[in-house]
Amino acid sequence: MRPRLVLTLAVLPIALTACGGGGSSGTPVAPSVADASSDSRAVKSGGTLNIALNADPDALDPSVSTTLVGREVFASMCEKLFDIDAKAALVPQLATALPEVSADGREVTIKLREGVKFNDGTAFDAEAVKKSLDRHRTWEKSARQADLAAVSKVSVVDPATVKLTLARAFTPLTAQLADRAGMIMSPKALEAAGDNFGASPVCVGPFKFASRTSGSQIVLDKASDYYDAAKVKLDKLVYKIIVDPNVRAANLKSGDVQVADQLATTTVKGVQADPNLTVVSGGGLGYYGLTINTGNANGSTEKPGTVDTPLAKSPQLREAFELALDRDQINKTVYNGLYEADCFPLPADSPYRSPALQCAKRDLAKAKQLVQASGVPTPIPVTLTTPNDATNQRLAQVIQQMTKEAGFTVTVQTAEFVSTLEQGKAGKFDTVLNGWSGRVDPDGNLSNLITSRGSNNYSGMSDPGIDDPIKEAAAVTEPAQRAELYAKALQRAAEVRGVVYLYHNKYYLGMNKTVAGVQYFKDGLPRFVTAGFAA
Amino acid sequence: MVWFILRRAGSAVIVLFLASILIFLGIRALPGDPAVVMAGEEASPAMVEAIRHEFGLDKPLLAQYVDYVGQTLSGNLGRSTQDQLPVADILAERLPVTLELSALALLVAIVVGLGAGIVAAMKRGRLPDYVATGFGLAGLSVPHFWLGLLGILLFAVTLRWLPASGYVPFTQDPGQNLQRMILPALVLGTGFAAILMRQTRSAMLGALSADYVRTARSKGLSEAKVVGAHALRNSLTTVVTVLGLQLGALISGAVVTEQIFVIPGFGKLTVDAVLTRNYPVIQAVVLITVIGYVLVNLLVDIAYAFLNPRIRLSGGGHG
Repeated sequence: MRPRLVLTLAVLPIALTACGGGGSSGTPVAPSVADASSDSRAVKSGGTLNIALNADPDALDPSVSTTLVGREVFASMCEKLFDIDAKAALVPQLATALPEVSADGREVTIKLREGVKFNDGTAFDAEAVKKSLDRHRTWEKSARQADLAAVSKVSVVDPATVKLTLARAFTPLTAQLADRAGMIMSPKALEAAGDNFGASPVCVGPFKFASRTSGSQIVLDKASDYYDAAKVKLDKLVYKIIVDPNVRAANLKSGDVQVADQLATTTVKGVQADPNLTVVSGGGLGYYGLTINTGNANGSTEKPGTVDTPLAKSPQLREAFELALDRDQINKTVYNGLYEADCFPLPADSPYRSPALQCAKRDLAKAKQLVQASGVPTPIPVTLTTPNDATNQRLAQVIQQMTKEAGFTVTVQTAEFVSTLEQGKAGKFDTVLNGWSGRVDPDGNLSNLITSRGSNNYSGMSDPGIDDPIKEAAAVTEPAQRAELYAKALQRAAEVRGVVYLYHNKYYLGMNKTVAGVQYFKDGLPRFVTAGFAA
Repeated sequence: MVWFILRRAGSAVIVLFLASILIFLGIRALPGDPAVVMAGEEASPAMVEAIRHEFGLDKPLLAQYVDYVGQTLSGNLGRSTQDQLPVADILAERLPVTLELSALALLVAIVVGLGAGIVAAMKRGRLPDYVATGFGLAGLSVPHFWLGLLGILLFAVTLRWLPASGYVPFTQDPGQNLQRMILPALVLGTGFAAILMRQTRSAMLGALSADYVRTARSKGLSEAKVVGAHALRNSLTTVVTVLGLQLGALISGAVVTEQIFVIPGFGKLTVDAVLTRNYPVIQAVVLITVIGYVLVNLLVDIAYAFLNPRIRLSGGGHG
């Protein structure tokens, strides 16, 4: 068996300058991602960096965490087997190279860095990697089970090598190991804390967990055991949870925090106008859209059933509903034009996105025609469930107005964010607004979300034309071939219209100009390994 | 007096018992399956099942209640599902913060509200009265979050006199602590001061036109003594009632203020816990709040008895 390097993912840079499907003339233009990574100012040693997070992270346990803000904190204290670089290409982190994959794709060998220590001084080795990976994939409370579902066995070859045996070839594995499923926890800390590892996590990382004040702040100290400690300049990171977007921006302006994540689109302009501050953008891997319940009668992971609503029953009406929407207008009115309007779940600049995937513009005449042809008496009632924050409600109102012209009467029903998730899963909705934070590998934006009985397939779509190409693409390594398969699946999904995708959301990171060396990539996680105050 | 307090304490225990049932049922009446919510967006059905089992949500309701009461009585409040920290630790950390904030806001309210109320009543129909009632109207109408944001923009962003938000424990750095507490206390205290001002003013107006004040004046007592010892003392019963009732409102007001100023207090904890269906925390928080209410009411009753001996004698009074 001749092993071959999976370089395909790594050598495929994602063009970062490409613009999404939507035009955005006359709206504030955010600086490109290049601003963060091209900052070459020298950084002096020492200092505390205060970072505002827009939400309270959940448990700081890589096996159970499900929040984006949690990943932001992990980025400073829990390194992974692999990582992504400025171009969203996969690179080794705790591994020394990208994995070697056997010809049949079912044996993945990973070489590990040697002489590395966890932040409690314990040695990092293959045994530790096995322990963490096994916890991720087999612990009943692990949220990583699906990420590593293809892995059937993890074995230690030697102290610096692990071998993963797969039940089926699974190309997205490297990308999964470049996220929480690839975070390695200190075996000593795991033994001591057990299920409560998240209360005082210990990993390999440039910073180590110092304390957490519930709902208020998380403090990390510079880690003396870190293998690349010379690179780390800051003494301390303080993540402060500041939920209100206006207060987050005010704290940045007053200098109480030097970095603020996920600026609201309403505050970006104000921060940009401040001479002491700068804004960089990242993210764009995720999407936001409107899910139409087409077959989720008993829960997303159950067998699809019949849903008794006009939209569920008629693909024609779903098409009319989508044609009534003007995505560019939505982006302008609701988000100040700061997002990327699009009708597919993969970013426009993804190497896995075929150019064949194009969006239709708003066509009210055709929408009206389809409504008429359907024979359903107008106005056609539609209930739209939406999270109860101001932005989502504004989006819902815009949708309401746009579709009204085509003959729909949309009733907006607001609920707490967590309730909308629960209703989505349970199928207790007609249409619902929801999104996905996005993954580096396209499979992460599709598998669980639009294939039969996927845990986040709220629409309840079940179509071999969608399922088969996605499954096939996961076993194929050639990007061009994968792109073609995804195009097939996405074209079919666009016909079924279980999800009407609206845009890719960008993340805007506000920073004080005194801060240098911050890395901000496509995943929207600010990295502070080399960050500090400009000398 | 001892008998009076004992009787009041006894009824407080009954209230607590009934409240524990209400808390228990109330949380379970929240829409949505908590296990699904806790498991998060990417959960598998097996994971949801594991969480349901861990929190005993798969047991019959009565068994869950018995577990809950048993654990609470033994002092075991469990761990927060949000961050896995022990609930007792979180409470110990959060409660003093809100108590400090409330105490400072109360101080603002008493100094401003009581003072303005007395002045307004004494100068009825003249400029100080108009200023005070104008302030009262504004204080009642302006929402906390708006006033808070305005305060941050003015004092932190523009003038840079005070930090924008955050919290430093008093024990760690008293100066920093007070600097960060001034704005929140003013914001939270404003609405309260307005209510207190209006109540004090009307109670004082009533008292100032009463026969005993005329008698006091005709005896030749100084104006300070007439106002302080007679009119004010008699108005205080009303004021104390308002204080007691408003202490609860102060806690709920703290929710918004804490959110705006990013103060890790009790109010913020409550909202966050409800939004994330954090059962162990919600149960503990609501229980502590009920205990707080019961204690305040008990204190108000006792204060009445001091201020008005008739209540003590008849054993009746405010419930």
